Amino acid sequence: MSLFNFKKPSVKGGFRHGIHPPENKGLSETSKIEVVKGYETVTLPLLQHVGAPAKQIVEPKQEVKFGQMVAAGEAFISASIHSPVAGVVKNNRNVTMVNGRRIPAVVIKSEGEQVDPGLLWAEMIADDWALDRIPSYDPQQISKIIRDSGIVGLGGAAFPAHVKIAPNDKKPINTLLINGCECEPYLTSDYRLMIEAPHAIVAGAIIAAHALSAGQTIICIEDNKPEAIRELTQAGQGTSIKIAALKTKYPQGGEKQLIKSALGLEVPLGGLPGDIGVTVSNTGTMAAIAMALLKGRALTHRVLSVSGKGINSPKNLFIPIGISIGEIIRYCGGLREDACRIVAGGPMMGFAFSDLTTPVIKGNTGIIVLSKEEISEGRETSCIRCGKCVDACPMNLVPTRLAMASRYNNPDIALKYHINACFECGCCAYVCPAKINLVQLIRSGKRLVANQQALNKR
Amino acid sequence: MILITIAIAACTLVILSVIISYILGWANIRFKVETDPKVESVLEALPGANCGGCGYIGCSDYAAAIVNNNVPVNKCSVGGESCALKVAGIMGVDPGQMIKSYAIVHCGSGLSERLLRTVYHGEKTCIGANQVAGIQGCTYGCLGFGDCVQACKYGAIHVIDGLATVDYKKCTGCGACARVCPRGIIAIVPFNENSIPVVACSNKDSGKESKEVCERACIGCKACSKISDIFIVEGSLSRADYSAYSDSKHEDVLKATEKCPTKCIRFAGRM
Repeated sequence: MSLFNFKKPSVKGGFRHGIHPPENKGLSETSKIEVVKGYETVTLPLLQHVGAPAKQIVEPKQEVKFGQMVAAGEAFISASIHSPVAGVVKNNRNVTMVNGRRIPAVVIKSEGEQVDPGLLWAEMIADDWALDRIPSYDPQQISKIIRDSGIVGLGGAAFPAHVKIAPNDKKPINTLLINGCECEPYLTSDYRLMIEAPHAIVAGAIIAAHALSAGQTIICIEDNKPEAIRELTQAGQGTSIKIAALKTKYPQGGEKQLIKSALGLEVPLGGLPGDIGVTVSNTGTMAAIAMALLKGRALTHRVLSVSGKGINSPKNLFIPIGISIGEIIRYCGGLREDACRIVAGGPMMGFAFSDLTTPVIKGNTGIIVLSKEEISEGRETSCIRCGKCVDACPMNLVPTRLAMASRYNNPDIALKYHINACFECGCCAYVCPAKINLVQLIRSGKRLVANQQALNKR
Repeated sequence: MILITIAIAACTLVILSVIISYILGWANIRFKVETDPKVESVLEALPGANCGGCGYIGCSDYAAAIVNNNVPVNKCSVGGESCALKVAGIMGVDPGQMIKSYAIVHCGSGLSERLLRTVYHGEKTCIGANQVAGIQGCTYGCLGFGDCVQACKYGAIHVIDGLATVDYKKCTGCGACARVCPRGIIAIVPFNENSIPVVACSNKDSGKESKEVCERACIGCKACSKISDIFIVEGSLSRADYSAYSDSKHEDVLKATEKCPTKCIRFAGRM
């Protein structure tokens, strides 16, 4: 046997750079998912996803049933929206989303007999999924059911799932990665879902793999969640699904980082995972797909963590999409006196906002209320080119260069340094000792580049 | 000895300079680019601000377009009528009617009149702040960080009381401010008269919603459009039809300004 012929054991956790922020998951990771009941109105913005807004198909004063479609995603990259309550449609209202966009929203006041969300949750955590029914579905049919159920990526980006989970002859998919990393600090919604509803996730993964005709399916979980790994391994027994434990490192759950860690492959610059035959999807999305296909439930509810030292009792909740964030905070015992900043999503990539009437949307993974001690504030100082951001950037970019190109209005340099490859994970801003708002600057820079390109086209 | 060294150095320099000047002279003839003398004279007539207000990349681009593509000569808002006349003289064409355009800010709310929500720690630019939810209640109005002030080459726009305010004595209507405003509330508008009426609001939300966030918001009550026909109410936002305005309608418009319940109609321009 040749000395050079041995296969190196695969190193899981293998993307370069990244950071290790304090996890703070202990606040909410032991609390079981509670079903929120007794809400009066839900507000459903017509654009909760990436792509074109959904088109409203209900009129004010019209009665709607539980799970009825209220807005249809007509464009290819769009998603339909369903009512989580039975009730009456009120006049539309405009809401400022957490990302600053102003979007019209359908308001539904609950009236009459309601379907108990506890029932929905009981269906989700059941372990009797009719897995033998799955092969009888046609892949196109699965994609259509996902589309009709309004399912989007529930890991945060809210990309319509039917676009990804669809058979593609031009770019065949051979590997389906299920993302259960949940690398953001504080958030525990995926973790709890993996422990409490592992069978739904496995069922969804089998459905998605069937729709994609993917040869292998791997559920990737960071190694700080041993219980989730155990539960899913048990649930996945007797199926072809593999479980991979990855190193705990932020942003392990980034699409491109996950592919590099789990498969050792790299997505080409500007490309998508589909280009190398991989599809990545979140565990919550898998559970939603299983619910849609095997139980006929559209996406109306989701799991959300409420955490942070600024909230009285951190919890994991099963909530209707469209409930206001203020209501959720009230449910969790309200804000503490030293609460300082409310963030929708995780603390690294989430958005801080100020209006508590903002509704929860499909892509919300958590509400984090940070107390004064948890945020680092200070005056910005000059960049001394220490290079910490460069060492942290998981995309191997030069964040300071991009940020300064944006600040000094230079879209050409920003483009030359590949500003659009940045996915705004926030590692650079986290490590920057000069407290420069790197991510915000880069985000502005992307706008500058887009404006410039539009101007050049004219 | 030193003198000889100096002399050698001096001679070398003289010989070098002679050789190089010959090379330069030759290159000047050999690589001469033929420029249209017309383009140069048009370029001279243009103000040379290179602001891009005409829609071309700088004055030389516009000059070339005038000469080669028969583009109208009245597009330079900086040079104005005199410049258009001059260029028309060179080209031997009709200068066309020149209506002076200026920037108009479609927001009229001072800091005390709008709903402010939270302390903002991020980048002090409009393009950055526009991506953050809830700095102020209104998602349409002026953010007041002055991206337009930075963009203006003529010092004609200032942030006063949190609101971008145009100085019409200096504004040339080049449009640099309108291009950078992330909320798109600045427009370049032809001024029929020295001052024209403006509905200083961009809030497209319903009257109730816009009133919640701003005292000066247009609520779409149609009071103005009933008095003067230059106001058009679309949805719950009124706008003035600038091309239909002339001084003869001043009386009516003045009445509408008084009738407006939120006082969001005002006059802009050189008073």
